[in-house]
Amino acid sequence: MTLKYNMKFFYTKLVNIETLISNLDELDLSAGEKAHLANLVDSSLHSAILDEILSNLSPEDKKLFLEKLETEKDHDKILEFLNEKIDNVEDRVKKVSDQLITELHEDLKQAKEVTVK
Amino acid sequence: MLFKSKKPHFEYLRQKWTNKHKNLHANLLDKHKDVGRQLAISGIGSLMLLTTPAIGLLPAGKLSASGQIEHDVDRNSLLATELADKIPTQMQALTPEEEAQIGELLSNRFGFKVSAELENKKLNRSYGMIGGEQHLYRYPGDTLQAHSQNATDWAMYGGSGIAPGLGAWGHFAPSKAEFTKKDEQRERYYLAVQTFLSPGYAERLKEYRDFYKFRKMLVVNPKTGQAVVAVIGDAGPAAWTGKHLGGSPEVMQAVGLAGGPRKGAVLYFFIDDPEDKVPLGPVKVPERFG
Repeated sequence: MTLKYNMKFFYTKLVNIETLISNLDELDLSAGEKAHLANLVDSSLHSAILDEILSNLSPEDKKLFLEKLETEKDHDKILEFLNEKIDNVEDRVKKVSDQLITELHEDLKQAKEVTVK
Repeated sequence: MLFKSKKPHFEYLRQKWTNKHKNLHANLLDKHKDVGRQLAISGIGSLMLLTTPAIGLLPAGKLSASGQIEHDVDRNSLLATELADKIPTQMQALTPEEEAQIGELLSNRFGFKVSAELENKKLNRSYGMIGGEQHLYRYPGDTLQAHSQNATDWAMYGGSGIAPGLGAWGHFAPSKAEFTKKDEQRERYYLAVQTFLSPGYAERLKEYRDFYKFRKMLVVNPKTGQAVVAVIGDAGPAAWTGKHLGGSPEVMQAVGLAGGPRKGAVLYFFIDDPEDKVPLGPVKVPERFG
C-alpha cells in the first residue's frame, strides 16, 4: 500500500494560514529555516485536526477513516463519510485549527521581541 | 528571553514549535492507542501533510502495508536514458524529424498524445531554455500569501514572488467568489511561451490567441526525465533574454530546476486532450512501461 494520504480538503476549505504566512514573511529567515518552521506548522495542524476527528469517531469508524485517508482519491467522499459520522465536522475542524493558529500567532509575536545576548 | 543564536527569532520559534508539535503528536498517539498500529504503519500519525504534489513524486522508497520500504523504480529516469541520443548536443531547435520521433516516444511513455504541432499550429520551437517565473495574480484582490495551500507550500514557492502585471489572458477568474479549483491549478502549473514568435501568429491573432489560451503542454527535463503537465498562462519571455519559455515556481520544482540559476533545457510539446482528461501537475511514466 503506497503512502498517499492527505487531508487537503480541510486545508483548502477550513484552515486559513494566510495571515500566519504574512507574519512569517516579515522575519529574516533562510530557505532552510522557512522549510523547517513550515514543516512544524503543517505537522502540528495535521496532528491537531486528526486528533479532533478521531476523538469523535467510534473505534470501527476510526479504522475506516484511516483506511480511506490512505486509499480514497476522491476527497469529497472522505468529507462525505465524516459528515455522516460527526455532527458539524467542518466547524469542529475549523475551531481546532483556528485555535492552534492563534497560538502560533502569539508565538510569532513573542519571537519578534526576543533579543540577542 | 535571551539567545546566543544569530537569529534569535528563529531559535525561539524552532524550540517553541518543536515542543508544540511533539506534544500534539504524543497526545494523538496516546489518545488513540486503539488505532496506534494503523497510524504508525501508514505514517498518517507522524508524517506531515503530503499536499504538495512534487513531494509525492520524489524518487524515493515507499512504505508498504507491512511497514517495509519497497524499492520504487523511477521510470522517468529510464525515459531520460531513452531521450539522451535524441536530443541535440547544442541548444538548438529540433528538426521536424526529431520532433516527430520525440513526440512519439513521449506519447508512448506517458500514455497520452503529444506533438510539436497541433491543429496546424506550432510554437517557434519545442526544445528550449526554461527560466523561473513568478506567481501570477489569479483574481482581483489576490495576494502572494493566498497562493500557499499550506505552510510547506509557502516555504517552497513563496520566495518566488508575484509578478506586478497580469498574465497574457488577464486574471484566471473574474473574482475570488468565482475562482475555481481549475483556475487554481492553472496558475499553479502555468507556462509563459513565445506565442508571438509562432509562425502565422501576427496574421491570425485572434485565432492563435484562442488556441494558445490555457493550452495544455507536457514539459520534460531530458536530463532527468522529470515531467509536468502545464497550461500556457502567459506570453514571454522576450527574445533578447536568451530564454525560450518560462515556468511557474511549481513547474520549475516539478522538472527539477527550482534551485540554483532556476533555468535549464526542456522539451515542451502540446497535449492533444480535447476532453480535458489529463490532469495538471507533475507526471510519472506509468508502471506498464517499467
